[in-house]
Amino acid sequence: MKINPLFFRKNMMALTGLFLCLFLIVHLSANCLLLLPKETARGLYNAYSTWLRENPLIMIIAYALYLSIILHTIYALVITIRNKQAKPVKYAVNHTQENSRWASQNMGILGILVLIFIVIHLVNFWARVKLGIGEEVGYDAAGNKDIYEVTYTLFHNVYYVIFYTLLMIPLGLHLHHGLQSAFKTLGFYHKRGLILLAKVSLIYAIVVAVGFGIIPIVVYFQ
Amino acid sequence: MQLTFRIWRQEQAQAKGSFKDYKVGELTEDMSFLEALDHLNEILVLQDESVIAFEYDCREGICGQCGVFINGRAHGPHSNISTCQLHLRSFKDGDTIVVEPWRAKAFPIIKDLIVDRSAFDRIIENGAYISAKTGTAPEANAILIGKAIADRAMDAAACIGCGACVATCKNSSAALFTAAKINHLNSLPQGKLEAHQRVLDMTTQMEVEGFGHCSFTGACEVECPEGISITNIAEMNARLFKAQILG
Repeated sequence: MKINPLFFRKNMMALTGLFLCLFLIVHLSANCLLLLPKETARGLYNAYSTWLRENPLIMIIAYALYLSIILHTIYALVITIRNKQAKPVKYAVNHTQENSRWASQNMGILGILVLIFIVIHLVNFWARVKLGIGEEVGYDAAGNKDIYEVTYTLFHNVYYVIFYTLLMIPLGLHLHHGLQSAFKTLGFYHKRGLILLAKVSLIYAIVVAVGFGIIPIVVYFQ
Repeated sequence: MQLTFRIWRQEQAQAKGSFKDYKVGELTEDMSFLEALDHLNEILVLQDESVIAFEYDCREGICGQCGVFINGRAHGPHSNISTCQLHLRSFKDGDTIVVEPWRAKAFPIIKDLIVDRSAFDRIIENGAYISAKTGTAPEANAILIGKAIADRAMDAAACIGCGACVATCKNSSAALFTAAKINHLNSLPQGKLEAHQRVLDMTTQMEVEGFGHCSFTGACEVECPEGISITNIAEMNARLFKAQILG
């Protein structure tokens, strides 16, 4: 079997991207617990986090997740380099907004913003909880690591609330184009299916962006 | 009416090009864009200046020879037309019109607004045909093809190879062109015999020529004079998977 690098790279982008899309649904569903009253949320969220950390299946998925983020980034870089080589001279005047969506033309910029968000998000939570870097995480009354307290403290810093909410805009735009584009890359070409896919992508992007975006605000006011 | 043309002038492939402004009067709204360039060239001839090199053939929107980037759009401000179908009534008196050649590594500039599109020819040479000897034209209904399939094949076959898809694509991807040629032949019974090899060879050549990746921005289908749907690219991707597994 001969591999065509033009298609292989995009397929890797699509597969890792779709896996990350799937992850976001699970992540958002769990984070909805944070919308509950403070002490109820603390108990449920910490219990859920403990269950996640102790589940061997989740460990495998976690590694798949790290790998997906890394591969998605690396292939984005390789693809961008090739694309720049393919168009070495830009037009003096180019009205891309008249023939395509802004997000589709700027997935790289949006991706960089999302990556910056992921790095900071990992430093805030993953590094503290899993690597023990930074301030030590305490325990709640049930003896679970008090992840809720980490969240609560973080989202009482207004700068973090703004950062976490604002960065959901590039994420939403990235997902709106990325989700439907991934399916087309993987060869989904059913005409009516694609019309439905465009709608699903829009709804998905809005739900994810708004869902993650309001959580810091809600926690801030608790 | 009077217009200012800001045109890319480049003596030859290796030369350094630059924009030059030409104020042209005595134009009418009924003139086609190419007629306006003819008019400008006549003036340049009388002034003993070198004329602007641009490509054209039929001027009826069916040959795919003409094609330049006009005011930030492939084939000008309207969607789904070729450059020859653009008329000066689309501009206002006194406008400045920026005219650039197609920009892509795979389409090197030959002179001024003319680019070398032989990369497309080489993609075609790698499978956009059937190798069977067909003899003289057979009875039209000897091979029955359902209307839905015939329509789809014809929609793809409409591609005139103008290169607007590559020109407008931010990555200079030739995916729409290659997909149109592949889907045209692979959906018909005559093309099915060599279907897998065709997809493999033509997409390989597309890579070799230095075209970029498809990002599905959708710009190509908007600028395509034949309105070839971007769905063709997704279909080509599906055909490539199938060919890689079975071919």
